[in-house]
Amino acid sequence: MTAATDTSSVASDRAQSEPARMRKGLFSADNVISIGVFRVLLIGSLLALWEIGATWWFDPFFFSKPSLVGVKFAQELANPDLYHDIYVTGVELFFGYTGGAVAGIVLGILLANWLFVAKIFDPLLLALNAIPRIAIAPMLIVWFGIGMASKMFLAATLVFFITFFNTHAGVRSVDRALLNVARVQGATSWQLFTKVIMPSASSWIITGLKMSLPFALAGVIFGEFLVASEGLGYRLNHYSTSYDTTGGITMIFLMMLIMMVLTAIADWVENWLLRWRPKSETAGATPRA
Amino acid sequence: MAVVAMTPQKAAADAAKPATVLEVEGVAKRFWARDRVVTALSETNLTVRDGEFLTIVGPSGCGKSTVLNLVSGLTEPSDGVVKLLGKRISGVNRNVGYITQQDNLFPWRTLRDNVALPLELAGVPAGERKDRADGWIARVGLGGFENCYPHELSGGMRQRGNIIRTLIYEPKVILMDEPFGPLDAQTRIVLQDLLLSIWEKNRSTVLFVTHDLTEAIALADRVVMMTTRPGRILRSDTVNIPRPRDVFSIQRNPEFQRLYDELWTDLAAQVKNDGGH
Repeated sequence: MTAATDTSSVASDRAQSEPARMRKGLFSADNVISIGVFRVLLIGSLLALWEIGATWWFDPFFFSKPSLVGVKFAQELANPDLYHDIYVTGVELFFGYTGGAVAGIVLGILLANWLFVAKIFDPLLLALNAIPRIAIAPMLIVWFGIGMASKMFLAATLVFFITFFNTHAGVRSVDRALLNVARVQGATSWQLFTKVIMPSASSWIITGLKMSLPFALAGVIFGEFLVASEGLGYRLNHYSTSYDTTGGITMIFLMMLIMMVLTAIADWVENWLLRWRPKSETAGATPRA
Repeated sequence: MAVVAMTPQKAAADAAKPATVLEVEGVAKRFWARDRVVTALSETNLTVRDGEFLTIVGPSGCGKSTVLNLVSGLTEPSDGVVKLLGKRISGVNRNVGYITQQDNLFPWRTLRDNVALPLELAGVPAGERKDRADGWIARVGLGGFENCYPHELSGGMRQRGNIIRTLIYEPKVILMDEPFGPLDAQTRIVLQDLLLSIWEKNRSTVLFVTHDLTEAIALADRVVMMTTRPGRILRSDTVNIPRPRDVFSIQRNPEFQRLYDELWTDLAAQVKNDGGH
């Protein structure tokens, strides 16, 4: 609070020479520095509580400890097997995600432009989407084997519906006035599609792609839980079934980090592709699937 | 810009024998609204000369915009024909440009790319597109904003962009549907002035819909007044005020005042009859 009172009492030249954030209160939502400090404090105290708790109050056999997890993390990073498992999960994730996304986008565009067929498909798609995807995972293993294909399919079925519904809604929500502008200016059907419909639907499609990313990883990991001999899900399952809670928690943290990196990349790509949007819209306003 | 060079000869030719660009012959338009038929436009006839600046005024819901939609080819008449250069209009075509009240700029395109879109659609090479778009942007005082996205521009700036992206491909007939409606009074008069200065150089045929009598008289060669729904043409008056005109002081012109009073009497009667529905 002192920073705020100081500045207001001192002459205005002080206010000009200070960076803008110095004049904001300690608890201002715009105060980047104090928010950063409190974030570190929050996470640090949670980890400290866990460490202290597991040392004196509860059994680290069940809950492990941050210090143990830290050591285990370093060991894992030195282990070539880990990189093989990351590679396997990465390949499954990549093909499952892109396969589901491409299929969802293509079918979303086709059905949005062909309402007769869309209406025929409607109940079928709703029914398929109503199936809890986890429930078909065992069947996928029967159909596609215990290898990578079954995991890719599981991820793809999750990604498909999210991107499909978003693409469909995005193409349908194109502003008719913009279409008319382009038509009057002499646009062909193909030009309407590439220069009006697709750019207009892009924010919906990108939202679908972003929302489905965590589902894709969850699908792959779950598939590896069921039956697998490699991959991060297999590794996590291996640790937890052998009561190695430190190993299990280490794997959870690793997956969390991978997802955070992927999300950050997706955010960056989104902001670049949708740089034409007003800033406030970029922050919020995500259309629902 | 060959049109500019041709202007004196063309103006002379027009005076001798005005060439007809647009003919609206016995046109009516009916819509289905829920379960009943609404007549937006009852039998209407209108002939527009080449290079004429025609304004259409009338109470709201009189079918002014319907006339423009029919000429643009976005909608088809229920009866009658609309002919452009002697040929029946069916479907949209690039001989007709349409400037709407909403600026409808593409939010994902910069100002330059919005203005250049009609050229892009026609396959004009990128370099030429850029030069021509930047030329128009500079001409309406938007130089320096070429790379801005629409949300970064003010309403008046966006409407300038909306206007020049139609002018850039030089359509034979330009339709304007209350293009200055959403703007504040000052921006409005500045843009009216700008529009007139551009039009006096290229003399394209303009159909300009407005509900503002001052604007209608200040801009036009001829003012057409329409009645409340079902819309039809009530009267058509030639504006005998010499050009170039000064929109900032035209209200003091006696001819302006005479015509304004006359038209206002009729328009007020229309608005009263309408009872606000």
